[in-house]
Amino acid sequence: MVPREGAGRYARRVNDRLGATRRAVAAHRDLGELAETIEDEWQYINDLVDAYALGLESLAEAGPRKLSQAQADAVDEAIAEIGLITDPHKAIDWLSTFPHVIGLALGGSVDGAGPSSASGSDGPEPDDDSPFRLLLGRGR
Amino acid sequence: MRFQDAARDARAIVYAGIQADPLVARAGALLAESTTAERLLARAAMNGERTDGETWRRIFPTLFGEDVDEKLRNHAELVLAASLEVAERGEAARSSYRGAIVEELTARLLARRAGADAPVKRERRVLFDGVRAEIHPYDVTVESAERPEVYDCKWGARGINADVLNQLDDARSHAADEEMQMRVAIVVFDARRSCEIRLDRSTAEHGGTGLIAMESLNELGERGR
Repeated sequence: MVPREGAGRYARRVNDRLGATRRAVAAHRDLGELAETIEDEWQYINDLVDAYALGLESLAEAGPRKLSQAQADAVDEAIAEIGLITDPHKAIDWLSTFPHVIGLALGGSVDGAGPSSASGSDGPEPDDDSPFRLLLGRGR
Repeated sequence: MRFQDAARDARAIVYAGIQADPLVARAGALLAESTTAERLLARAAMNGERTDGETWRRIFPTLFGEDVDEKLRNHAELVLAASLEVAERGEAARSSYRGAIVEELTARLLARRAGADAPVKRERRVLFDGVRAEIHPYDVTVESAERPEVYDCKWGARGINADVLNQLDDARSHAADEEMQMRVAIVVFDARRSCEIRLDRSTAEHGGTGLIAMESLNELGERGR
């Protein structure tokens, strides 16, 4: 758990979008290093890390520079959560979950950059109630 | 071509006990009525390290923040509670529960458009004339005489592998041999992007196999699919 008082002090210091995305990218990369110990999945893991690094970095430009306290706390709690993971199999699962959690907290999509972007695929449009659609202003 | 119940081996009997757990039905029903953000919460919390609700409320301020509509926040609380119950079953049981919940969710969404002439069933094999039966059953089927559908359900994109893709494609092609148009698809409770990354590296034939990922689960219940 992120210490409440400490989190507040830390957040006041670096409570900006760029700092939050940098922390998220670094935490995601660390998670990838843990996951890499599953050698059979090395390629998939590196594909995920590379693709989502671009997506996470793109969040730096996805909204106001100043984050709300709730947004900053969400990012730090999510980073703390994946920092507790020691099982590499669980780490693989979180390599795709974590970026979307961060994207939701910061009000941006992590799908819009890099290879295999859903935006450029033949896949269906997101559900009408998708947060990604909401964030893009296309939903309710 | 015809559908058949899967053989009940020891593993299937144990798994049937999990499928019948009321928690699976409750989580499946909640997730069928959930937004994608709530489904993301469920995926995270069911697979989390921490099982205290306050942590997850802080991670998802768009669901639990003070400015969120009370009705939406209350529904998110139900999703969170069910997800944490799954997490609290322990690491060993989690994966079975999660898989069963994805199947339950898939069946419930498909049931929105299924009728008496196209019942939704679980754990079924498909038999084709002159073709040796597959050992593994399909998780969910829509048994329409005109346009049958078979679905394999996965918790994560990592579950997409050559065996799964080959079995689905074989079913589609065998059905075509019998002049049947069968929809085959994989339902993955994971982000579309991670599924596409997985599929991009797969050499197994999957051009005729549909992908329903977390962001587009509701399409399962839409007519005309």
